[in-house]
Amino acid sequence: MGIVITVTSGKGGVGKSTTLANLAVGLANEGKKVVAVDFDIGLRNLDMLLGLENRIVYNVIDVMEGKCNLSQALINDKHSKSLYFLPASQTNDKNILDKQKVKELIETLKKEFDIILLDSPAGIEGGFEHAIAFADRALIISTPDVSSVRDADRVIGIIDAKSEKAQKGEEVEKHVIINRIKPEMVERGDMLSIDDVLNILALPLIGVVPDCEKVISSTNLGDPIIRDMKALSGEAYRRISKRILGEDVEFLDLSVKKGFFKRMFA
Amino acid sequence: MSLFESLFGKKSSTAHVARDRLKLVLAHERASNALPYMEQMKEEIMEVIKKYTQVKDIHISSRNNQNIDVLEMEIILK
Repeated sequence: MGIVITVTSGKGGVGKSTTLANLAVGLANEGKKVVAVDFDIGLRNLDMLLGLENRIVYNVIDVMEGKCNLSQALINDKHSKSLYFLPASQTNDKNILDKQKVKELIETLKKEFDIILLDSPAGIEGGFEHAIAFADRALIISTPDVSSVRDADRVIGIIDAKSEKAQKGEEVEKHVIINRIKPEMVERGDMLSIDDVLNILALPLIGVVPDCEKVISSTNLGDPIIRDMKALSGEAYRRISKRILGEDVEFLDLSVKKGFFKRMFA
Repeated sequence: MSLFESLFGKKSSTAHVARDRLKLVLAHERASNALPYMEQMKEEIMEVIKKYTQVKDIHISSRNNQNIDVLEMEIILK
């Protein structure tokens, strides 16, 4: 039986889908059978991040409405053979997701895959609620800025109140990923530090991804940065993938190398 | 504080301000968001108290201290 991991953030534009695409590749490369499901109905994005936009025939709504079989809608990744992708539809009917149908779909996916990664839409409306309703675990993405941390906090509260697990008195296992941190700014005191964010959100950390230009160029190509063995952010994602599977991996050293002058007085 | 900072004066850190502002706003938001059952619970508690004495109002506030969540209730009698 597979586990459902929802990637969410509250605020948009913090790197939710990028993170999900990278972790999907990472987990598949660790030998797991993974399906990445785009739940951002109406705003399809994950397809481009994975470089699979030209292969879409059917989408997640088609599957739920019985217009096609699951196997017809699933797209196998070009490089990672145990990775599959289920695209969002582009309908603008926000209320098209039906809780019972979502549940059935997830139950089916759980039988076929080890890990089901759900890409939640930004915001806290219907689509988001469906994405967290059946989560076993949640990865909360936050950048070190006030609006992102505030929204992450709100989202954590909603997961605790509204997920099916929470309503049964169980707990959704939650972890924080801090994205786009700039170590020089933290050192200068001009950006919230990892500890600041964790203190506020009161959740365990599962990864820190440094701000990295290569993420943008890899997105341009539709080839997740995790496949770039030289990029620091790629290494960060590889380590997060291992931690999700329970491995104890050291955190990246993101401290700024101190210059001579500062070292003398520090 | 390092010698460097004490010699040249520490620049006020914007991260520090961000942290304090966030803590303040979240303390407030958590109290109002986290307990969707609050109103109904208040009414039911009031019903129970009315069986024994006359009650004017109930104030319930929540706070969290490290790992302990606390609900504080103040019952104002007539």
